[in-house]
Amino acid sequence: MDLRRFLDLYVSESQEHVRLLHRSLLALESDATAIDEAFRAAHTLKGLSAAMGYRAVADLGHVLEDTLASIRGGRLKPDSALIDVMLTQADELEAAIAVAVAGPLSSDNLEPATPDSSSSARVAMPTSSSYPPGTTNVCLVRLRPDAPIKSARAMLIMRALQDRPGVIGSEPAAFDDDDFSGDFRIFLTGEADAAAIEASIMRAGDVESVDFVEPARATAPLPAPVTAAPAPAARQMRVDATRLDAIADGIAELSVLYGRMPTTGLAQNVASMVDRLGVVLGLLQLDVLALQMVPVREAFERLPRVVRDAARQAGKDVELVIEGDDVELDRAILEEIGEPLVHLLRNAVDHGIESSERRAAAGKPARGRIRVSAERERSSVRILLQDDGGGVNAARVIEKARSAGLLPHDSPDTISADELFRLLSHAGFSMAAEVTALSGRGVGMDVVVSRIRALGGAIEMHTTPGSGTMFSMRLPITLALAQALRVRIAGEDYAIPLTHVSEAVLLDGRVDGERADSVMLRDEKIPLVYMRHMLNAGGAGKEQAAVIAEIGDRRAALAVDELVGREHILVKGFDPVTGMLPFFSGVTLLADGRPALVLDPLSVI
Amino acid sequence: MARTVLICDDALFMRSMLADILKGAGFEVVGEAQTGAEAVKRYTELRPDLVTMDIVMPDMGGIDAVRAIMKEYPQARILMCSAMGQQALVIEAIQAGARDFVVKPFQPSRVLEAVQRVLG
Repeated sequence: MDLRRFLDLYVSESQEHVRLLHRSLLALESDATAIDEAFRAAHTLKGLSAAMGYRAVADLGHVLEDTLASIRGGRLKPDSALIDVMLTQADELEAAIAVAVAGPLSSDNLEPATPDSSSSARVAMPTSSSYPPGTTNVCLVRLRPDAPIKSARAMLIMRALQDRPGVIGSEPAAFDDDDFSGDFRIFLTGEADAAAIEASIMRAGDVESVDFVEPARATAPLPAPVTAAPAPAARQMRVDATRLDAIADGIAELSVLYGRMPTTGLAQNVASMVDRLGVVLGLLQLDVLALQMVPVREAFERLPRVVRDAARQAGKDVELVIEGDDVELDRAILEEIGEPLVHLLRNAVDHGIESSERRAAAGKPARGRIRVSAERERSSVRILLQDDGGGVNAARVIEKARSAGLLPHDSPDTISADELFRLLSHAGFSMAAEVTALSGRGVGMDVVVSRIRALGGAIEMHTTPGSGTMFSMRLPITLALAQALRVRIAGEDYAIPLTHVSEAVLLDGRVDGERADSVMLRDEKIPLVYMRHMLNAGGAGKEQAAVIAEIGDRRAALAVDELVGREHILVKGFDPVTGMLPFFSGVTLLADGRPALVLDPLSVI
Repeated sequence: MARTVLICDDALFMRSMLADILKGAGFEVVGEAQTGAEAVKRYTELRPDLVTMDIVMPDMGGIDAVRAIMKEYPQARILMCSAMGQQALVIEAIQAGARDFVVKPFQPSRVLEAVQRVLG
């Protein structure tokens, strides 16, 4: 039986059941009925893994199943300590699955992850993934399950191959191990004659299958399938996420190409075909966008565990409330906000929520509460993270900032909310008296802010001393095609995403004086920033227009030479070169096919 | 001309069964041996095309007999016959020079396939 066919299915089903297992174990602390779900999840994982021949995984599943059966039968009580143990075992199970699917099929020579492995273990490469130098191909041999004395058979196979060119080794190297499962790999170089080798192996008898793969494929983790957005009774499909990405990229390129098509001087029939093309393309874009939308639940799922672990470590009593988790967001964005959310949560537990005693003294319920919610706005999604802790102590922040040299010693004793947040998100700023294990190292907030801004989003902080702190994040619904203003600065074109742009104005007559430092906008004076200078583009410019950018209560007018137009762009991130100006969030191809840097207006304000 | 075979096993029952299977495939059983020592002696006398060798035999076991035969006649074609679960011994036999192995109880088809591999 060729188990390879079932591997994809195993990966997606096991992932689903692992998630279920985690969820129900967490729920078990407060809801006794969650035991049934937890038991079923463990039982199913055991069965699936045994069927695939992943003995180590099945064993771990069996251990959990036994414990859960005892709880269900009333022989064990699911107290916090026991749940802790089971959660750790669930982590091990998850890691073991990752190792199992990355290795050769039904490899029994993998170790279950040690209890110390981190709960967010990514796919760990099996130790057998080192190839002798020169390996260009790997031959995977599987002996028939009923073959007697498999190790002797494997030895005979290797002996038959030993004089053939290109055969440089096998894994395992020797077959005298009692635990040999019947699967082994042969390392080949380019000299090897695959057909002859396969024939020779098959002739040796008791061989179930022979496959040739390239080394990377032989141990690379399989792409994780993604479930399409759940519709109640609709047909559902599991989809390979990388294929969706490829389709989205293709469509994005199509739209760029379409944008380049001439709109004038066309024969009548061609003109109408081009129009039709545009309509179909637009619909296709919407369809693909819809496919990539995923409920935020997927990013929120891991949060209860984060809060639980953080609260235990900090010795605090905290509960997490999640709302609006079926709001949908582009998968690409969702993948990026997970870590910022985790950091903000840990911060809230560590610094926001006070100890039970202090809360009691302040007349608050002993249990702290953090609320994470998502809601859909017109063209963005707003995610709120709110705690009912003690709020940020502005006076302490000012004091710290002064001693860190971020504020002059004679600065005013009060600051605006914006200024407060800017200080807190300054790299290296840390509010903790001592660095705690969780956070307080001062490297977190600045990364959170830059990550969110890199996505084209924005984050604000509102805090009330004694009552709590709220972080408000606004994210574009989709990264795929953002709308941007195309502007010219010193002869070069740049794109400015519209997410933080409120409007664009012509400068004629609004500017007082040649090199004014502000511009009038409907009775309001807005600081003027000469982009030419910011970009060190030199020369005296004839700035004709300004782009009004805003964040929170701060606005700025970015003066540019001219406004070229509005376009849909696909922003691609990039690794900045050292010494590069910090004003760019990515690159894109403009409609005429030329590359342009994407300006991040917030970096300028 | 039929291919010749020397059957080595200390049990009459096993020898008869093997003889049956091999004769049915056109082999001529030119000799039998019950001990390792006898196996070596008969090989020298008969120089058969094929030898079937049991592992566990009195007076020089099958593996030692293989070694002795292979020393004088490196081209000897020897098929090892083993009981279930004798992994280490089978491996040793292969390392000593046996070309292939079959496991008891014998299935005629498997025996003949193995014989083919040994001779082929």
